[in-house]
Amino acid sequence: MTVSVGRSVVRQDADPKVRGQAVFGVDFELSGSLHAVLVRSPIASGRIRSVETSSAAAVPGVRLVATAADAPRILSGLALADQPLFAGDVVRYEGEPIAAVVADTVTIARAAAARVVVDIEPLPVVASLSAAVAPGAPLVHADWSTYRPSPGLPDWPRHDNVVGEMRFDSGGVDDVFSTADVVIEDVYTADRQYQAYLEPKSATAVYEAGRYTIHAAHQYHFNVRDRTAAALGILPSRVRVIGHHMGGGFGAKLDVGLEPYAALLARLAGAPVKMVNDRVEDLLSCNSRENAIIRVRSGVTRNGRILAREFLVDMDAGAYAGDTVFLTSIALFVAEGPYSVDRTRVVARALYTNTAPTGAFRGVSGTYLYFALERHTDNLANALGMDRRDFRIRNAIDAGHTMLNGQVLEDSDLLRAAFDAIDEVAPWETLGRGPNRGVGIAATVWLTNPMPGAVTLRLEPDGSLGVVTGAAEIGTGAVALGVRQVAAEELGIDPDLVVLTMPDTDAHAYDGGAQGSRTTHIVGRAVQHAAAGLRERIFGQAAKLLDSGADELEITDGRVRMVSDPQRTVTLGQVAGAAMFDGGPIISSGSYATPAPKHDPDAATGLLFATFPTPTYHVHVAEVEVDPVTGRVTVLRYLVAQEVGRAINPAGVMGQIQGGVTQGLGYALWETLQIGDDGRYRQRSLEAYKLPIALDVPRVEAILLEHPADAGPYGAKGVAEPPIVPVAAAIANAVADATGGSIVRLPITPDDVLNALESSKE
Amino acid sequence: MEFTSAASVEEATALLVEYGTAAQILAGGTDVMLQQARGEISAGVLIHIGRIPGLVGITGNGSVRIGPLTTHRSLARSRLVLMTAPALAEAAATVGGWQTQAVGTIGGNVCNASPAADTAAPLLVAGASFELTGPRGTRTVVGDSFFIGRRQTARATDEILTAIVLPHHPERTGDAYLKVGRRSAMEVAVVGLAARLTLDVDGTVEGARIAACSVAPTPMRIAEAEEILQGSRMESEAIAAAGEALTRAVSPIDDARATAAYRTRVLPGLLARALGVAAARAERGVG
Ligand SMILES: Cc1cc2nc3c(=O)[nH]c(=O)nc-3n(C[C@H](O)[C@H](O)[C@H](O)COP(=O)(O)OP(=O)(O)OC[C@H]3O[C@@H](n4cnc5c(N)ncnc54)[C@H](O)[C@@H]3O)c2cc1C
Repeated sequence: MTVSVGRSVVRQDADPKVRGQAVFGVDFELSGSLHAVLVRSPIASGRIRSVETSSAAAVPGVRLVATAADAPRILSGLALADQPLFAGDVVRYEGEPIAAVVADTVTIARAAAARVVVDIEPLPVVASLSAAVAPGAPLVHADWSTYRPSPGLPDWPRHDNVVGEMRFDSGGVDDVFSTADVVIEDVYTADRQYQAYLEPKSATAVYEAGRYTIHAAHQYHFNVRDRTAAALGILPSRVRVIGHHMGGGFGAKLDVGLEPYAALLARLAGAPVKMVNDRVEDLLSCNSRENAIIRVRSGVTRNGRILAREFLVDMDAGAYAGDTVFLTSIALFVAEGPYSVDRTRVVARALYTNTAPTGAFRGVSGTYLYFALERHTDNLANALGMDRRDFRIRNAIDAGHTMLNGQVLEDSDLLRAAFDAIDEVAPWETLGRGPNRGVGIAATVWLTNPMPGAVTLRLEPDGSLGVVTGAAEIGTGAVALGVRQVAAEELGIDPDLVVLTMPDTDAHAYDGGAQGSRTTHIVGRAVQHAAAGLRERIFGQAAKLLDSGADELEITDGRVRMVSDPQRTVTLGQVAGAAMFDGGPIISSGSYATPAPKHDPDAATGLLFATFPTPTYHVHVAEVEVDPVTGRVTVLRYLVAQEVGRAINPAGVMGQIQGGVTQGLGYALWETLQIGDDGRYRQRSLEAYKLPIALDVPRVEAILLEHPADAGPYGAKGVAEPPIVPVAAAIANAVADATGGSIVRLPITPDDVLNALESSKE
Repeated sequence: MEFTSAASVEEATALLVEYGTAAQILAGGTDVMLQQARGEISAGVLIHIGRIPGLVGITGNGSVRIGPLTTHRSLARSRLVLMTAPALAEAAATVGGWQTQAVGTIGGNVCNASPAADTAAPLLVAGASFELTGPRGTRTVVGDSFFIGRRQTARATDEILTAIVLPHHPERTGDAYLKVGRRSAMEVAVVGLAARLTLDVDGTVEGARIAACSVAPTPMRIAEAEEILQGSRMESEAIAAAGEALTRAVSPIDDARATAAYRTRVLPGLLARALGVAAARAERGVG
């Protein structure tokens, strides 16, 4: 029996967060702190003629105004070194930093920033994917060929506005298209989505004794360290990053944001500098989920076998490569999805445009790639006159499926269990009946991020267990619940006795950040490694106290006891106390990173992200009703069957599913950042940018499938990212079913719904 | 920016006279504070009227008198409003979210005179009149002569709206308000449509009033549609013809919320739906 794992333990950080006592990044302030504001480009593309700072510098209370001239002349970036801190000669997107004002208060800094006069000669704007690859398109980066990948990465195919290109071809695809019974081709588009976390981006930095200390509310502190160091041209060990509570990130806070600016300005000003985005600049400059165009073509037999597929994707990287170049690789894993296809060609390109650089957002490119794949799958089934669910099950991958990268999915038959689980609760034939109603289904395979993590455990004389780790609690409970409960389980103690640290890159070993559902899985595993060593010392010490052999002992309920004589016990605290002057404090460290699954690294070219480790399987079903007058979509029911391995904290997992589906509904139905011909966003505030609200989101009915995997702590796999991945696909399929028309873009607008209804009447 | 709180209508109008165009009346502030923050207005003095007695509440005896400081939340819950003009309660219940409704007032909504003001269309179909008090005394402005342009009303800068009056509610009369938005709350109307019908015992339309918001620079009555329905028995041809007249009468625009084409497209169906609800209420003698 477990003491902690599998229970919906309550979070220790809930109470202070509810009471407003938790100190978030935006709350944190060092005494004597100055405040800085960025001066951002008002236009998307242009040549800077001059930046006139003297009248801003003359405003009382202003300490300094910095421009590109004050920053090291260095280009850096997550994947490709293509981005300066401040634009010096050209601006490439609306919102690009050109200067910064440091002042005694934010109000003064803002007022002075408005007095910085930037004279920019407008240049042609590359505002769309099609414009980026049009013949004779202006180059967003004239010097692209001189750019180098960030340290540790091999270069990849790129040219002109194509900043990344991943290609796979199994051969023979075109032959099939010319002979197959049925060939269907579809084109889909998806808009950008803003991560819209509650807490805007912020950073506070101080420069002391040749080192920078940055206080961050961030997902990935070690990346802040490394990326700040790269931007400033210094060693990572010159930067210390300390974490604070964070109000959400959803991927937008994986790469650096304001941190390098705060660091640079703190050195220039000789005082701590705090920066906080206001909501509008946060939205306009955010590394949102990229917009994309997806072309899918399949050749199938009359009885429903998929013979060939072509999957062509263009994704908008924005003005700098960011992490979007990595995301091209995801197309390799989604092109076939969870279905068997004989021959496949995949080309996924990331393109430069004069728009805000895009980046990671929960589910990344998987959200729209699966939207395209699963809409297309519906079209195939419909064209063949087959039931859409049957068609999927018929083509579903079986155990031992080999993906296009050569990786074998040992457990891929778990997908079928997910189809069955939903059908037990809500039989397919009973859903979506009645006028203007429809049902949609989508299935996905998703990964658990493999990045390394580490932990040191400390047993204290008061019986508590210190869990010292650089892992970030992004709000999901991955640390506050996942890591804590695993640690408590390992020592058989009450989870309340576990004391967690906040990330500090000076004090902790490397952690790969709160991303890709990795934290509970990876750091939990590191905890298990550490706990093995900890138990060894505990038993050794307890054996002396109990006058027994170390192998005759067990730990239960905060005590060590003799297996043969359970009355002979000593508390864990007594053991820790005794050890203090007999060998020293009881500590033990552990590390873990998912070993790369076996695969063929040369299967595709430009494959920066080569494997899909620790896969999980998912089926989502949505039932909707459309309003034939207004075109509005109401989600009546939403069902999820998700393979989780083991739910360490079921309430926490359910919360992640409800939240992921909610974000997915926003993506499917409301949220968009449209780009005008001038490269500027049309939605420029949270009034125009429509997030889902409670009234429009149903209670998600989730079924947790538990097939514990060897790799995870107590079998746990990644759970938090995948629930967003199939949502747009399931909703779009349901709306298409309800209207009898076609749905080809995200988000689905009321106009799209009315058009679909009309087209089906014709 | 200065802030002052007036104790009486006289004091408030005196302050309006004193400060002229620099003055801005502050009721719930859900429009004013945002406009100030965005730089759309630059008030020198905010004159808070929330403490003035007698400007809040709903009273009725035949006609219904609504104090301008009545919040959307109170409107939405008022028995009197629900019995005599449910469309107004429906409209109030769609203003922003609960927080907006708890603070925002009907006076602020109509005086701000946004093309999308939700309470405007139900007030227009109810035949509401607006009581304005200024240094020269009190006057009454009827119906659509109150809304004269985008964010413009018949109110003079030294006047305060002191009441909204709904005339006696005829027998066998019912109304309805339908709002189109992407979400179920926190939406500025993409289109808002109010209909009021008075029916004969045999179902003939004795009186029809139609008004819409977010389809023109001001909330507006749609006389052409009303005339078609008048005397009809709500035959589907009549409703369709009224719907067409409605689409011809409006002049919507493209904006971040919706296209003009979408706004026009939904109007006929919306009218049919609103008429259905209004007719049912008329039969039941509610609203
Ligand atoms: C989040 C949010 C959502 C919203 N959603 C909606 C919506 O869905 N539908 C909608 O219609 N509106 C909406 N609004 C706008 C606003 O809430 C309403 O218009 C509200 O009724 C304004 O009332 P108030 O008391 O806050 O007005 P205030 O902001 O105090 O005043 C508004 C204007 O009216 C003037 N004024 C107020 N009272 C008087 C008076 N007695 N005499 C003369 N002038 C006066 C003020 O000087 C000002 O010009 C929303 C606002 C917010 C912040």
